[in-house]
Amino acid sequence: MTMLEDRLGATFIALADPTRRAIVARLAAGDATVNELAAPFDMTLPGISKHLKVLERCGLITRTRHAQFRPCHLEADVLDSAIDWMQQNRRIWSERFDKLDSRLRELQRPTNDVSQKPARQRKSHE
Amino acid sequence: MSEAASDTGDFIYTRVFDAPRELVFRCMTEPEHLTHFWGPNGTTTPLDGITVEVRPGGVFETVMVNDADGSSYTMRAVFVEVVEPERLVWTDSTSGVTTTSTFTDLGAAGTEITIRQSNVPEAFRTPQARAGFATSLDRFAVYLGTRP
Repeated sequence: MTMLEDRLGATFIALADPTRRAIVARLAAGDATVNELAAPFDMTLPGISKHLKVLERCGLITRTRHAQFRPCHLEADVLDSAIDWMQQNRRIWSERFDKLDSRLRELQRPTNDVSQKPARQRKSHE
Repeated sequence: MSEAASDTGDFIYTRVFDAPRELVFRCMTEPEHLTHFWGPNGTTTPLDGITVEVRPGGVFETVMVNDADGSSYTMRAVFVEVVEPERLVWTDSTSGVTTTSTFTDLGAAGTEITIRQSNVPEAFRTPQARAGFATSLDRFAVYLGTRP
């Protein structure tokens, strides 16, 4: 796997945790320091730092090198592509399952028991 | 449909169908059935564009045609594991995403299908129109809201 693929896969792992999702949601409102991020949680600074490292590793957040308090910054395009994929994928499976449900009902309707037929007749004259 | 992302970053979708497991499994593996439901809304999956070789190493191919403009998208995958009527595993040749479908017999309650997708990174690189930041945040909120 390339480094980029590694990072993108890690994004899903990062977003699977509720604390990290809350951190991402907070950063969506603007940059914040570790202390600011820790405030709403009943968590130690090292605990929060651990979560930030996971988010940093997958590229979802970056931290300024120079500023004294090293505020965390949310990388919108990384979040964006993750959401794009999730939304599209969920929609496809949801619609597919809706249609499968209709199909199964149709097959099991007593008056139209297609399920007993071996296969649908094709329009060929072989 | 319930969904979740596991701690390994896999995607999981679950749905219960009011039908016996054998029939549900057949629907997921026979072109005559797949043509009725495989493509998402706004697309058609013609019977002659579906290839399903239900065995490890067999081809799983579907052509989804956009109803609006006739453009098509071909899904190419290879079966990794086939345990009739319990389990289907295929890997998408383009994206590398592995999809595991588990069919659970719930007796009178029907059949539960669980779709687990792993190794998603490659698919995720598909260039999508980069929505504005505000939009992505809205969608993130929606995404959070749908979690259990």
